[in-house]
Amino acid sequence: MAAISYRKLVCKDLHSYLRSLPPSVLDKLYHHPATCLAVYRDLPELARHYVMRILFVEQAVAQAVVKQWSITSSEEQLEAAVALMELRVWYEQPLPGGMPGWLLNPIFRKNLSTSLLGGGSPWIGNKNLTPDKYAKDIPFLDKYALERWECVLHFMVGSNEGSDGVNKDITDILLHSKLMRVDDGEPSITAEGFQFLLMDTSSQVWFFLLQYLDTVQTRGMDLVECLSFLFQLSFSTLGKDYSAEDMNENQLRFLQHLREFGLVYQRKRKSHRYYPTRLAINIVSGVSKATAATAKLDTHRPGFIMVETNYRIYAYTDSPLQVALLALFCEMLYRFPNLAVANLTRASVRAAMSRGITAEQILHFLVSHAHPEMMKNTPILPATISDQIKLWELERDRIRFTDGVMYNQFLSQADFELLRNYAKDIDVLVWEMPEKRVIIVTKTGHDDVKKFWKRQRAS
Amino acid sequence: MADSNEKGSSSLLIIILDTNPVWWGRKKASDEQFSLSHCVDCISVLANSHLMLAHKNKLAVIAAHTDNSVFLYPQYPGKKAEAVKLPDDGQYEVFGQVEGQLRAQLKKLIMQDKEQIDEMYDVPEQPSDSLIAGAMAVALCYAHRLEKECPIGEALSTRLLVIKGSEDCPSQYMNFMNAVFTSQKQNIIIDACILDKDSGLLQQACDITGGMYLKIPQLQGLLQYLMWVFLPDPSTRTKMALPPRAQVDYRAACFCHRNLIDIGYVCSVCLSIYCTFSPICSTCQTTFKILGPQKLKRKKKS
Repeated sequence: MAAISYRKLVCKDLHSYLRSLPPSVLDKLYHHPATCLAVYRDLPELARHYVMRILFVEQAVAQAVVKQWSITSSEEQLEAAVALMELRVWYEQPLPGGMPGWLLNPIFRKNLSTSLLGGGSPWIGNKNLTPDKYAKDIPFLDKYALERWECVLHFMVGSNEGSDGVNKDITDILLHSKLMRVDDGEPSITAEGFQFLLMDTSSQVWFFLLQYLDTVQTRGMDLVECLSFLFQLSFSTLGKDYSAEDMNENQLRFLQHLREFGLVYQRKRKSHRYYPTRLAINIVSGVSKATAATAKLDTHRPGFIMVETNYRIYAYTDSPLQVALLALFCEMLYRFPNLAVANLTRASVRAAMSRGITAEQILHFLVSHAHPEMMKNTPILPATISDQIKLWELERDRIRFTDGVMYNQFLSQADFELLRNYAKDIDVLVWEMPEKRVIIVTKTGHDDVKKFWKRQRAS
Repeated sequence: MADSNEKGSSSLLIIILDTNPVWWGRKKASDEQFSLSHCVDCISVLANSHLMLAHKNKLAVIAAHTDNSVFLYPQYPGKKAEAVKLPDDGQYEVFGQVEGQLRAQLKKLIMQDKEQIDEMYDVPEQPSDSLIAGAMAVALCYAHRLEKECPIGEALSTRLLVIKGSEDCPSQYMNFMNAVFTSQKQNIIIDACILDKDSGLLQQACDITGGMYLKIPQLQGLLQYLMWVFLPDPSTRTKMALPPRAQVDYRAACFCHRNLIDIGYVCSVCLSIYCTFSPICSTCQTTFKILGPQKLKRKKKS
């Protein structure tokens, strides 16, 4: 039952991340059009239409009126309204007549309409540049970004390949996020790290950036500045160069860090232009909640995994990293120059699960790296395989431990029933056995039950 | 973004704008505070709002002119788009591009028209109707192509929005209906936004494909109407309170004179419609040997 002690790696989406920020920071963030755009796209659908409808209305709108706009269930309306409230996109304001109304956050309104219509100050680095002598095309940028990112992954699994490109900043973040820990002076991967490896690239990047943003303030940089720049980056065009000339000291430092992660390409450290790569542009699409059924594809890399109903996996890859990832939960059979063959077995999957990897993560990995030929099937994975992996996980969950306190040796059945009913009422009863007059209550409920019993005996 | 159906699919909005010079010219002459440039402003805001809704949303704008239909956005892939200047007023660059290209292409179209007229000595009367059916066919082809190009596992939901001012043209009835039934088959919704007189044909099109038909009561507030009624995509529309369906004029145009008729003659073989009886069907060449029922009765009596 060791698995329970492992923390499941939670990758916050944009919405829950922004929710965790204090309101003052949010207001500051909304000063930049790109942030407003990113936040807007992350809102529930209904909420997006609400915003659109009152974007040009400069006074509060009665809540009753907003309610009449849609004819769906009130839960969905509430969800939209709450999402808007939480992110401070709108807030409650009573109308002159005393009716409750919604008022769109003026800063948000102004900057969202700026991004839609223009009429504000330019974005950072939106200066028209002279054509680049060393202009880069999209395939080059993709290759570059992938190389940089795989460096980090290689470093995590401890393979020798490419670990030279990983510097102290990246190591710090990996340690901070507990994806790795230091054993005997050498960093080594943790259970969370394994879970991280199985995520798709855009989620990995987003998770990594969240951890990075956590450490930003300790580095003496401004969180708002970094976030705004990040959002702007995610709204730029792939294969186009942007100017770094007007950026201040902090932003340049941030740019250097992004360059190390492979989110932007700069030919030289001092170069005044940079190219955003696909990793950066995918940030915003990567943070929205992914449903398990329609897993996102890694757009810049074709899938390579074939899964057969006989539990055999064929991986058309020569990347040692990908093979190492497969080996996390498979039994490797053969290796060929461009193909690796593995078997999914009960033992291998259980071994992975004892490392803290969940069935869902394994399935997600298989689906998101599925070969284009596999993609044509519905469902993408054979049902037998996905069911079996889930069953193997359930197998491990047959026993559940709950801490508790046992009460026994009741003198009469009445006493027993009294205490049992009380424990049941306050919802702390774990188990009972009327024949032997034994009950078990949870640890937290123990005090209450004890007090109750003492009172009963006293009276 | 909790909607699962939204996750894997992208939404394509194709706007067909009626750029009939006669109608717009009359509009201007009638001294109303509404011009083509105002309309284009509204359309570009609607287009950008659609793109803003989700990262994957796609857009196309087609101009239905008097004798041809032109893509205003995007440009043909063959033509290399000239480097667009980055907007320096804080607008998102993609939105800036859309707006810039819309205007540039429309300007080009109008200038071409002007040149043509300048070259001619006596100006022929411009037809007062636009090639809506043609533009719809172009739009359907475009949607079909994008659907084929769509990566596996992703669905594309398409809708057409026809913004029309000029009058209906019964001579396009056949082509128009073909386009409508094709889009019904392809699950493409046709919306209509009418600026002037009610259009029977578009009413039918919207009714058949399940789209919204709206005649704008006040042209000044065009943008607000567009945003409220035509911005939500079909899956969202079920959740929103929207104006009710209008009464549909289901008259068909006859094949002989292109008149809209209530009662007429229908060929029993090919279902062609005629306003007067004709012994030979002009579409399928079937000859009708039996004469009209009235004549038969007369024979019996005599």
